[in-house]
Amino acid sequence: MNFVQNFPFFSIILSMFSGIVSSVLPARAAKWLNTILISVVGAMSAVLLVYLMGTGESYVYWMGHFPAPWGNEIRAGVLEAGMALFFCVIMLLSMTGGRKKLLGEVEYSKHNLYYILVNLLLSSLLALVYTNDLFTAYVFVEINTISACGLIMIRQNGRTIEAAVRYMIMSLLGSGLFLISLCMLYDLTGHLLMSNIKESVAVLVSHHQYSVPLMTTIGLMCAGLAIKSALFPFHSWLPDAYGYSTVSSAAMLSSLVSKGYIFLLIKIFYRVIGFEIIAESKVINVLFVFGLLGMIFGSLSAIRENDIRRMISFSSVAQIGYIYMGFGLGTESGMTASIFHILSHAATKSLLFIAAIGLTDVSKGSRQIVDLTGAGYRNKIAGFAFTVGSLSMVGVPMFSGFVSKLLFAEASIGHTYKMLPAVIVLAISTILNAIYFMKTVIRIYVPERRKDCEVITIKNEKEYAVTLVCFIVLNVMLGMLSQPIVQWIHTGLSMFG
Amino acid sequence: MMLLAAILIPIVGGALVMVLPFKKRAHMAVYLEIVVVITSLLVGLIISEGTTGRFPIVKFVNNLSLSLELDGCGMVFAGLVSALWPLAMLYSFEYMKKEKHEKVFFMFYTMTYGITLGIAFAEDMLTMYFFYELLTLVTVPLVLHTLSREAILASRKYLYYSLGGAAFAFIGLVFLMIYGTTVDFTYGGVLTPETLGDKTNTLLLIYVIAFMGFGVKAAICPFNSWLPQAGVAPTPVTALLHAVAVVKAGAFAIIRLTYYSFGTDFLIGTWAQYVVMGVVMFTIVYGCSRALKETHIKRRLAYSTISNLSYILFGVTIMTPLGLAGALTHLVFHAVMKICSFFCAGAIMYQTEKHYVHELDGLGRKMPAVFGVFTVSSLALMGVPGLCGFISKWNLANAAVMSGNVMACFGIGALLISALLTAIYMLSIVIRAFFPPEDFDMESVKEYRDPNWMMLFPLFLFVAAMIIFGLHSAPIVQFFTDISNGVL
Amino acid sequence: MNESVTILFPIFFPILMGVLLLVGKEPKKKALLSRYTGGVLLLTALMVLGLVWGKEVSFTMFFLTGRLPVYFRVDSIGKVFAFVVTVVWVLAGFFSFEYMKAENAPRRFFGFYLIVYGILIGLDFSGNMITFYMFYEMMTLLSMPLVLHERTKAAIMAGLKYMFYSFCGAYMVLFGLYFVYRYANTLTFTAKGVLDATLTAGNEKLLLVVAFFMLLGFSVKAGMFPFHGWLPVAHPEAPAPASAVLSGVIVKGGVLGIIRVIFYLFGADFLRGTWVQTTMLILSLVTVFMGSMLAYLEKGMKKRLAYSTVSQVSYILFGLFLLDPVSLTGSLLHVVFHAFIKCGLFLCAGAIIFRTGKRRVDELTGIGKEMPVTIWCFTLCSLALIGIPPASGFISKWYLCEGALHTKTAVFSWLGPVILLISALLTAGYLLPVTIKGFFPGEDYDYAALVKKEPVKLMLVPMVILAALAFVLGIVPEGLIRQLSAIAGQLM
Repeated sequence: MNFVQNFPFFSIILSMFSGIVSSVLPARAAKWLNTILISVVGAMSAVLLVYLMGTGESYVYWMGHFPAPWGNEIRAGVLEAGMALFFCVIMLLSMTGGRKKLLGEVEYSKHNLYYILVNLLLSSLLALVYTNDLFTAYVFVEINTISACGLIMIRQNGRTIEAAVRYMIMSLLGSGLFLISLCMLYDLTGHLLMSNIKESVAVLVSHHQYSVPLMTTIGLMCAGLAIKSALFPFHSWLPDAYGYSTVSSAAMLSSLVSKGYIFLLIKIFYRVIGFEIIAESKVINVLFVFGLLGMIFGSLSAIRENDIRRMISFSSVAQIGYIYMGFGLGTESGMTASIFHILSHAATKSLLFIAAIGLTDVSKGSRQIVDLTGAGYRNKIAGFAFTVGSLSMVGVPMFSGFVSKLLFAEASIGHTYKMLPAVIVLAISTILNAIYFMKTVIRIYVPERRKDCEVITIKNEKEYAVTLVCFIVLNVMLGMLSQPIVQWIHTGLSMFG
Repeated sequence: MMLLAAILIPIVGGALVMVLPFKKRAHMAVYLEIVVVITSLLVGLIISEGTTGRFPIVKFVNNLSLSLELDGCGMVFAGLVSALWPLAMLYSFEYMKKEKHEKVFFMFYTMTYGITLGIAFAEDMLTMYFFYELLTLVTVPLVLHTLSREAILASRKYLYYSLGGAAFAFIGLVFLMIYGTTVDFTYGGVLTPETLGDKTNTLLLIYVIAFMGFGVKAAICPFNSWLPQAGVAPTPVTALLHAVAVVKAGAFAIIRLTYYSFGTDFLIGTWAQYVVMGVVMFTIVYGCSRALKETHIKRRLAYSTISNLSYILFGVTIMTPLGLAGALTHLVFHAVMKICSFFCAGAIMYQTEKHYVHELDGLGRKMPAVFGVFTVSSLALMGVPGLCGFISKWNLANAAVMSGNVMACFGIGALLISALLTAIYMLSIVIRAFFPPEDFDMESVKEYRDPNWMMLFPLFLFVAAMIIFGLHSAPIVQFFTDISNGVL
Repeated sequence: MNESVTILFPIFFPILMGVLLLVGKEPKKKALLSRYTGGVLLLTALMVLGLVWGKEVSFTMFFLTGRLPVYFRVDSIGKVFAFVVTVVWVLAGFFSFEYMKAENAPRRFFGFYLIVYGILIGLDFSGNMITFYMFYEMMTLLSMPLVLHERTKAAIMAGLKYMFYSFCGAYMVLFGLYFVYRYANTLTFTAKGVLDATLTAGNEKLLLVVAFFMLLGFSVKAGMFPFHGWLPVAHPEAPAPASAVLSGVIVKGGVLGIIRVIFYLFGADFLRGTWVQTTMLILSLVTVFMGSMLAYLEKGMKKRLAYSTVSQVSYILFGLFLLDPVSLTGSLLHVVFHAFIKCGLFLCAGAIIFRTGKRRVDELTGIGKEMPVTIWCFTLCSLALIGIPPASGFISKWYLCEGALHTKTAVFSWLGPVILLISALLTAGYLLPVTIKGFFPGEDYDYAALVKKEPVKLMLVPMVILAALAFVLGIVPEGLIRQLSAIAGQLM
């Protein structure tokens, strides 16, 4: 057993441990601990990824010394390691980008609480990525929910508390559905380890036994996770939660939290139920339709928004719709496209949130889009970053959004009846995205002399600028050099099941 | 390699304008003109060397890559653009003296040149699409330039329409990727009928969608309202971009789509052909009718452009080699005619601050050079024999008659109705200018005179071109015929 | 066919001179203008006459594209038309030297006058359809400034209407031209047609439609119903010399176009008996009648003459469409005669306006006493137009009627002559009152206030020459008839 293979376990334990330690640390120390932690975990994941690409197969790691099917397992493959690495990168960048605002919006004494929550969030994400046990997954789903709520609420004002409460209610509803389906699955198969469940399910399906309960289970599981990841029409909590929380929270929530649940769903598709069974069931058709609806309605609501943060949040609803549409196609290329979009969206959405905060800061803190006229000149780096993010969202070639679009379109062609709706809605969604993003881009570049607004230059805000530049580079890399990444996804999926 | 250099020089050169310190405005002008002239010379050199092979720039996803290549069709577009850009640059130096924010303007103006060359040199649909979207982005700041309320609205509309059109054209791109043997531009198309089977109708539908998508930039009905509104931009922008580069890029894209991607053998005779031909014919007549009613000079010329672009597309929808030859002829000749008309209009607006047709009474006596050139370009647009417009109309009509397509014969009728309307709306300007009513007070126009050489020189060159092409078009038409037969 | 570059001289020399006149500076002495223009006119006339009396020559100038050469040829029909143009143009030109003394911007008028002369010669000497079309369009464009010369609102409107109608017609011709190019061996004018039988087989219907469009297109210029609307509007607004040449010669451009289309492109046999022929015959007869009727009802002098042109030119067209050698001879005769007559009539009207300012017919009581020579010329021309022997009009009308009776076309063989007769009566009705009232004003006329207002010699001489021609050619027509019958025989 190679030392490297311990890394997933180390990552999870380290994060949890740091979380606990941070409770007694002062704010500054907690900040450093957090940063170091994320970097270390990221490095470990990178090494693991390289190792796994070398060996070419995934492995199973026993937690404790109880063998299957009674013990707990971690499974690490190319896809998981890469995901973990990616999550770390995004988290790190989001934290650095929003650091200054954190100082402004949250009481200093509460900072270490914030870092606790972030560490816990990291640990639960990693666990969701790596775990091979369904119940463990549930446990960490709950931990994820709690830390996410905390992240929203850390900035205390009426809006965030209301948002957090709403989020908690919807999330718990989702978790509840997930738990019910988990119990039913356990009932049907008698296993909690994913690989074992899969074998049992395969047997059940081939004998046509318990088909209705099985379908119900799958449906509930999907519904639960869909609610938690804000698929239309369960997205109502999202704009408030993303819109009013502090910037790093918004970035992390939109990029990581919902993606964690989606990744879990993918895992369930491949490793619990089995991809072929899922592909034949009617569940994915429902996902497809809701995905399409989300794409349209998310963008339509965004067009009507005047608050820039809420506009970006509604855009998230639309983008999550894209991902579910990819699922709904029920083919491997559809999955690949969705996974690529997870990466692309995570990178772009964080970028947008952090850039947006830069723009509002130079407009006397106003978040109304009409007040942002000329902000592109007052904070040049934020304006440029926002433009890049918008172009990526619209799907202009050179940026990651275009590759996502390309992959989705390619995936949908060939389908007899899903092809045309997918392709047409994709085109319409591009136009809608163009409308609200481009309108804002033009507005921030219409010059307006405002004497009373401060001007932010790169010199004042080094950390902020560096973060944005990193995000832009990430975006362009995903856009222009996507071939190795798509290759990685393919390899990962092939060893995923 | 040289292809890439030709694309990059203007882009980098233009970007550097913002950074380099220029002591005097004249220095900046000289620098920019040198950049543009070098690029044009390079393009001329490339064209004279003939067709080249494939040159990949960067690998993309799924075995796709961005790559460049030079074939006959690309030669035409690149040659046209590179011939016109230095002249337009010269003209705009004088014109922009009266406008603000010059540096930003010239940066984007020059970068557009490089990107347009990228479209011409694109080897496959993906590369062309890439540069096509970039073209939209880099021309938006030009439309937005004056930052007035109308400019903001116009640029927004332009952006939405262009991105929207590209989104639908994107569908065509993806289908070609799946169903075509390759995404490269190959004369005759890349679809093999055997592999398609029952998907034929779907692919025809996709063709129509992609045609309409690219057609947004080529201003077909009902997606043409962005073009007249974009007339709010400074004249060098409207002239070069919205009469030559941007809209011709749309037409060029449709040529590539029809002849080099889907292939005319697949499309000819199908319902898709009739649909697109119908749309195009309607646009021809619609554009001219609106031009008649429009009184703002630049908007009137914009509607004329809408109509003339559909002449080119009409040639394309005939879907025979002769049709392509006719389309290419009009692509080149109309660019010359229209840029000439716009420059005249710009000169008038620059010298007199008058924007509307009814304000132009009697100016012909005071600005004889400008109005003389305008008369020549009007006659050319109408299709008077002896000038280039007659030749391109002749080639288009000939293609239509030879094709035996009944709808195409009605198309000829549309062309001629349009010619009649063109005569009216162009000549009415000329008549007002030279023959004002007898009670007109000539004192009121006393102080106007022709602009200086920087603006006049391009105008005279264009007139010479129109006359030469009108009288001696055989060599260039032969060149187009070779391309359309797949020889080049 | 000999190649001779001399064909180009009478075409481009006046054009060049006219352009020089337009862009040059205003001369110090106004008289210089007249001398200059007169000189150019005479010189060109000599060149034309040289060509007319010479052998048939041709010249290819250059190739527009592919198979489209710009090609000139002096053939028999061209000679006839060129001769007519020259006579009318020179005479009206000399008339205008005096007339333009009362108008402004004479330089512009003379400049365009010269240019249009050159273009008309080019039109008459065109050897193929494409050259013809080219000069046809240019003729419209460059004669328009003559129409709107006075620059009143009405004149400008008239010019625009003229342009609109003419271009409409020109584009209808172009439409047909595209098709003829496909189905013919060549576009060079050849007697009896150029259609390639192998190509046309099976496409007759299409080609008939094409022919119809082309004929209609040219008939716009020739003022046939329903495209006659521009004529009565343009003539009154234009200065009198311009109206004279407009009616005299420019509308004959349309006639020449029709002749070329029927006899030199499609060939009479292709069109004989078809619906195209029938329709055109109907339209031309309608115009004959309608034009005369409207002239009779009209009170403005120049407008009355304009309607008269509408009617008379349709006589010519009627003869053409009968597709019979005798009626064709009659048409050609009437081309010549009507040109001289109408020009004469307009010059008289112009002289009256110039000297007395009277534009309406009812004002012309006693005019014969004030301007006897003018009104004598007017009377001679009127008699010729009505068709009273031995004036020339009688000969042409005789041939037309004979041709009509000659043909086998059912209704038209008798309807034609009937309508022509009615029209002749109406013509008398609208022309003779001027003479009668002019010479015999009645008791109310104030003889005491009579003042002789005869115009100067420069204006009188052209009128007299034209009136003389109108009569003399009727008395000794044999040479002319022989020439024209030969042409007619050649074509059928």
